[in-house]
Amino acid sequence: MPPSIHPVDLIAALRQQHLTPAIVFLTSRRACDEAMEAFNHADLVLPPVRQEAIGTALERVIEQYPSITEHPLIPIVQRIGVAAHHAGHLPSWKIAIEELMRQGHLDAVFATTTLAAGVDFPARTVVITQSSIRKSRDFTDLTIGEVQQVAGRAGRRGKDHVGFAVVTPSPYIDLAVLTKGLTGQPEAIDSQFTISYPMVLNLLKAHPHEQIQGILAKSFAQFQLNQRAELLEHKLDALHVQMEPFGPRVCTDWITQWQTFDHARRHRHTRHQTHRSESPEISARLPFLSPGRVVGLSRGRGIVLRQYRSKGQKNSMLTILRPDGAVTECPVTSVKEVYDRTCDFEETPTYPWCSTDTFDRLSHQLEELPQRLPVLPILTSTSHEPLPDAIVQSMGDFPCPTCPSRPACQKDFVTASRLRQEQQRHTKSIQALRASLWHRFQERVNVLQKFGYLTLATQLTIEGEWARLIRIDHSLLITELIRAEAFTGGDPSLLAGILASLAHDDDRPGAFPRISAGLSSLLGQVRKLAESLSPYEDPPLLRADVAALVERWVADPTLTWIGLCRLTTMAEGDIYRLLARTLEFLSQVQALKSTHPGLAGSASQAITLIRRGVLEELP
Amino acid sequence: MTTEELEQLLAQQPVALLHRLARGRVHRQFRAGKRRLIELLLQHSSQNRAGLESDLQTLIGERQPRSESEPSRTHRPSPLPTKKTSLRGTDSEPLESAISLSAWLEGIGVPAPQPFIPDPWQTEALSAVSETDVVISVPTGSGKTYVAVEAARRAMEDNRTVIYTSPLKALSNTKYTEFSKTFGPDKVGILTGDRQENGQAPLLIMTTEILRNLLYDAASGEIDIRLDTLGLVILDESQYIADPERGVVWEETIIFCPSQAKLLLLSASIGNPQDIADWLTSIRSTACRLVRHSKRTVPLRAGYLHPNGKLTPLFRTLGIPHGHPHQLHPEAKRLFLEYEDETLPSGRQRR
Repeated sequence: MPPSIHPVDLIAALRQQHLTPAIVFLTSRRACDEAMEAFNHADLVLPPVRQEAIGTALERVIEQYPSITEHPLIPIVQRIGVAAHHAGHLPSWKIAIEELMRQGHLDAVFATTTLAAGVDFPARTVVITQSSIRKSRDFTDLTIGEVQQVAGRAGRRGKDHVGFAVVTPSPYIDLAVLTKGLTGQPEAIDSQFTISYPMVLNLLKAHPHEQIQGILAKSFAQFQLNQRAELLEHKLDALHVQMEPFGPRVCTDWITQWQTFDHARRHRHTRHQTHRSESPEISARLPFLSPGRVVGLSRGRGIVLRQYRSKGQKNSMLTILRPDGAVTECPVTSVKEVYDRTCDFEETPTYPWCSTDTFDRLSHQLEELPQRLPVLPILTSTSHEPLPDAIVQSMGDFPCPTCPSRPACQKDFVTASRLRQEQQRHTKSIQALRASLWHRFQERVNVLQKFGYLTLATQLTIEGEWARLIRIDHSLLITELIRAEAFTGGDPSLLAGILASLAHDDDRPGAFPRISAGLSSLLGQVRKLAESLSPYEDPPLLRADVAALVERWVADPTLTWIGLCRLTTMAEGDIYRLLARTLEFLSQVQALKSTHPGLAGSASQAITLIRRGVLEELP
Repeated sequence: MTTEELEQLLAQQPVALLHRLARGRVHRQFRAGKRRLIELLLQHSSQNRAGLESDLQTLIGERQPRSESEPSRTHRPSPLPTKKTSLRGTDSEPLESAISLSAWLEGIGVPAPQPFIPDPWQTEALSAVSETDVVISVPTGSGKTYVAVEAARRAMEDNRTVIYTSPLKALSNTKYTEFSKTFGPDKVGILTGDRQENGQAPLLIMTTEILRNLLYDAASGEIDIRLDTLGLVILDESQYIADPERGVVWEETIIFCPSQAKLLLLSASIGNPQDIADWLTSIRSTACRLVRHSKRTVPLRAGYLHPNGKLTPLFRTLGIPHGHPHQLHPEAKRLFLEYEDETLPSGRQRR
């Protein structure tokens, strides 16, 4: 059995059941291209009438977009009536395919799932071959919304009585994801509000600082945060009701009183009785040699299992877990180092002094410990633990031991303190939810003040006035570059190259032309600056190889589109998108006409130079 | 009963019965195929043989009256559960409740041309949008564009400017061509990152980012005259508000949208359109109207196509059994299990 149906068989099966036209969603661009190759020798040829119809329809599109005249897929499209449509193609090709599909000339389109969100062309049938989708390097299961978006392409209004979503298995398909997606309710959507530097500048340009909180409160993000806060408030109300029986007793805040008392009382029992014979260094260590502590011995390391006193021994003793699960007893003096590392520990009263689970886990963790561990700094002082001592000494002054409500307090304390902790946690989260956007805004303001885009009174400085016009990703880096006069000299190809390396966010590897020395040194500067800005803004991928491509295109006006495509292994559609994104960035720089005429000039020069060939023909 | 007899008896039973028998006995029994299920049941029987046998007898007893009424579905008594006979091919599940392929394929074809009559939800949305903000959440392909076009037409008849935004430049271009055909080329303009045509037209198409920038410029005093006459802002594909990178732009646009302009949010089916509507109500001057429905205009059916070219319905029912993802068609289920069995590398346990 083949791992998935052969594209030719698929189309044959669909045609046989009159399920065409269909959109076949495949996992990758490569799968789409391979599917097309499979038709090279297929004998599923269309009747001549339809072939002609496709031909004339294609001619009409080609008139408008001459760049696809010699597209290698045209013969198959015309002969078989199937086409591939994915982000690696030029937009003009995609428009042509969409047009053919809309007119009903094609039987099937092989597409990636990006199509489902991108354009609007329906078919009678969609064929689903996958249950996951590549999202930034990883494959994740399709959400219900995505499955329905894909399936939603099936069934054309006015052209079909019914639409069909056909699942055909391929390796790694999970049918459950698809059936759940088809039958389920789409997921709720959540706000993805982020506060960017240009947003802060533009807000402060138009509104005084004190109004901003009100504006942020109008966001969907805050609306959803408020919803969550309200939920917590309901819980808080419920908690208040639960806490009522534990109201004030003899003292108003008996929970705190009891907590301190209880703490002190317990502390007195476990306090280590220091013996004269132990040096202050050793005795200072004792409280830290608690079960679960990682210690260094003269040979190797170990984890403390218990600390005890033995009659025959001068010093306190330790039971220590050594590597390979050996358990040894030794005096505390043999501990060479106390590390700043403890492991979770569940004590038991008998050997090996911890639960079996803990024991297994500890022996495992002991093997896994890193080579270097930070040493716990232990201060040796003659009068340590001043606070507990004070409390313990004043135990006699506590009202609790003689308090009439002491038994009640002792009984209720566990529940009451848990409720109070919960209450405090909720109160804190509510505060955080209500104020988080504002805090994030303030953080941004502080950074902008630090870099001199905002005055201390949160007014825009001269720099801020123009910087607010750069409303793209990596805006802080770009404005800092402009301030550092990195682009002076104004070679449009360098400017375009740098902006391309910022605009590009894809990580598909490939082969690219060499970059010029000028661009290379400039990129070095940009990288250094980006690194220094990394605490304030995520650094871009800064791909030099990609920048070189745009640089070539701008620097060499005789370079044809075909020539450009030959320079690299990047797909045509990706090159187009790269140039289009660069144009967008350049047009933002071009907007700085009044403050940076030179820079804006070279930006507009670069724009004119980029817009030629395929880029000119497309809208 | 000896183990062999039991094995033989089990092999004769349909897989559905074995699944029922295995319930509570075998972990994740629904994932196992028949042969594996029998193996697991036999393993289990070492612990409680009597219980298994009596349950089996009860189940067979329950089954008998039904199969008697259908003489065609008598089980072939197989002498030994050899490899061939224990394959799932011999399983006969109750097919009577599941739809047949021919019924599933029925109705395929092109409907006769009908005069266009707007759906009730479309009329409702249109009458609402003249008074207040509207959020529309309907499945893909239900005719959101019709509402957008009609709402734009009405606003333009009132001498109001209309802005239509879409998340992608490609979509903007498609809409520009489409709307130019509908309203005439002089009535429609487009503004994208690198294309500006007919910028003074009453209906402007742009990407959402451009509109956000316009609104920022307007707020900071560089007044754009068109914002005064702005009557309607249509945000297409507004489920993009949940986009991790660009969602914030939709929020900014909605927050800064002038209050005299009505907002029309078009969105695919999402889980919480009411939240969006409540949010708009809380920040805008008028109460937002939510128009939602989940019924598709063209009904959808789901099918399963096996790599060998065999087509079957995916679900037992003709349409999509909403809320019941497990109502798989027995044939599709059998074929898929077979597919999984054969494609999984041998020795690897199915999840």
